Amino acid sequence: MPYDDPDPGDPMLLVGVTLPAEEDSAEEMAYVFAEEFARLGFSEQRLLSLFQEPFYAGAHQALELLGENRIRGIVQEAVGMWGHFPYRVNEPVARPSWDVPVGALAFPGSTKAHNPDGDEV
Amino acid sequence: MSQVYNWQLGRQMSYPYDGKYPERQFAFVFNINRCIACQSCTMACKSTWTFSKGQEHMWWANVETKPYGGYPHAWDVKILDLLHQADPDGRRWRGASAENPQAPYGQFPGKTIFEAAEKFLEPPSARVLGYLPADEEWNSPNIYEDNPVGPKGVRNQFHLTGEQLPVHNTWFFYLARICNHCTYPACLAACPRQAIYKRPEDGIVLIDQSECRGYRKCVEACPYKKSMYRGNTRVSEKCIGCYPRVEGSDPETGGEPMETRCMCACIGQIRMQSLVKLNPDGTWAEDRQHPLYYLVHVAKVALPLYPQFGTSPNGFYIPPRWVPREYLRQMFGPGVDQAIERYSNPDRELLAVLQLFRRSNRIIFRYEIEEGPLAYEGLYRGKQVRIYNDTAIAFGENGRELFRTTVEEPLHVRPAKHQNSI
Repeated sequence: MPYDDPDPGDPMLLVGVTLPAEEDSAEEMAYVFAEEFARLGFSEQRLLSLFQEPFYAGAHQALELLGENRIRGIVQEAVGMWGHFPYRVNEPVARPSWDVPVGALAFPGSTKAHNPDGDEV
Repeated sequence: MSQVYNWQLGRQMSYPYDGKYPERQFAFVFNINRCIACQSCTMACKSTWTFSKGQEHMWWANVETKPYGGYPHAWDVKILDLLHQADPDGRRWRGASAENPQAPYGQFPGKTIFEAAEKFLEPPSARVLGYLPADEEWNSPNIYEDNPVGPKGVRNQFHLTGEQLPVHNTWFFYLARICNHCTYPACLAACPRQAIYKRPEDGIVLIDQSECRGYRKCVEACPYKKSMYRGNTRVSEKCIGCYPRVEGSDPETGGEPMETRCMCACIGQIRMQSLVKLNPDGTWAEDRQHPLYYLVHVAKVALPLYPQFGTSPNGFYIPPRWVPREYLRQMFGPGVDQAIERYSNPDRELLAVLQLFRRSNRIIFRYEIEEGPLAYEGLYRGKQVRIYNDTAIAFGENGRELFRTTVEEPLHVRPAKHQNSI
C-alpha cells in the first residue's frame, strides 16, 4: 500500500466510482451475515457485537445504514430460527496405555520425565 | 473451426478443435454468500505450488473484492469490453430458463471469445479474443480492495476503528477464483505448440512444461486470466487442480480421491469439489444423487462464471443475495434470480445438501438424505418456514460412506481439561 500523497499521474491511482446499492441491499446483507453466523452457533450477543465491530466492514456498514434496533431485530429473527443447537461435550477418547515405561522418556540427566498428558511424574 | 455444443450457452458454437470430453470432469461449487476473504485458500495454494523463485506474482487461487477488485486488475471488465466492441448488439440472453439440461439458462446468441476472434482478429491464425495483462496488473493482487491499512508512515499498526470514509449505501462481495478447467479451454485453443491438454480421466487442464516455449498465447487467451507466465523459467504455468490429490495418490486417504488444497483449507465452508460424469456431447450425464449435479442442474442454485465467454467453465457459484441483480446477471447469466430465490428459501433437500460443504476432505460422489424430525416451525421474514433435522450422508468413489451430518449440526464443546490444548 503506498503511503505517499496521491500522484494524479499514476495510472494505478484509485478512482472512486459510485456503485449505488439496491434499496434493500443493506438489509439483505445483514440477513445473510446473521443467518450464516447463527448457523455457525453464534449467540445473539456475539452476533450483535460482530455487527458493531468496524473491522467487519460489510456487517458494520449494514449497522450504520439500518441502525442498531433494526440489526438487533434481524439478529433475533435469525437466532430464533437457527439457534437451536444441541451442545455436545466430547469426552476424551480412551487411549491404550503407553507401551514404554514413562521413566524411559526422561531427558538425559533429568530426574523428571515428560508426560504428554501434562502431569509431572 | 469445428462446431461444438456448449450447454451453458444453449447452442452450438465455434471452437478451434473438435469436442473431446473426459470420462469425468473436475468441477466445483463456491457459495459466495459465505466467503469472508480470509485468503486461507490463496495461501494453501501458494504454499503448496507457487512458493518458488519466479512465482512471486503467481496466485493460482485468489480471492478478490468485487466489483472493484481483480487479479490481474480489472480482468473481467477488460474482456467484457473487448467482447462488447466486437459484438455490441449480441450481448443479450434469449429465451427463458428451462428444465432442459441442454439449455438450462436459455440461449446466448452473442459471440464468444472464439467466434469474435474468427470474425474480428487479424491475422486469421488468431484463435481467441483476449489481451495480455501488463506486469503491474499482476503484481499487487489485492491493491485498493477491502483490506485494512494503517496510518500513513506507521508500520505494523492498523487504524484503531477502521472507519475512514463516510458510510455509503453501496455493496461489495468476495469472489474466490481458481482455474475453471473449462470444457472448451481458451488457453488450450490458443497454444501454438499444442502444449496444453485436458486429461481424459478428470478433465483437468495442464500445461506440458517440456513443450511450452513461453509464447504467452494462453495468458492472452484465458478470459479468466488463470494462465501465468514465469519469467525465470520462461514458460507458462497454471492451476493443476491438485491432481495428485484428486487421483487419490496422497497417502493420507489410502487411495481415495481427495479435494484440492484450496477447497480443504476453506474455513468459511464455501467450497465443494468433485468429478462429474459427462455425456458423449460434453453435457453433464444425469446423476441425481451427485451433490454437484443436484446444485447445478436440479436445484439450479450454482451458476457458471461469465458463461458468455464461451469456454464452458466448470466452476459454479451460488450468487450473493444482496448484490444488484443486473451486475449478477452479467456475471452469472440469467439464472441468477431463480438461484437466489431458491437459496434464500431452501427446500428440505437443498438445506440438507448445503450441509455437505467441507465436512470432509474426501471427494463426495453421491449423497443420500435420511429424513429427520421437524426442528423449527415459524415465521421468518414474513414467510412460514419449516426446518427438518434431516441427515445428509456422503459417499466416496467406491461407495463407502464418508460421513453423515445433520441440518442442525451439534456444536462440539471441548471438555474443561482440554480447553486450551491444540
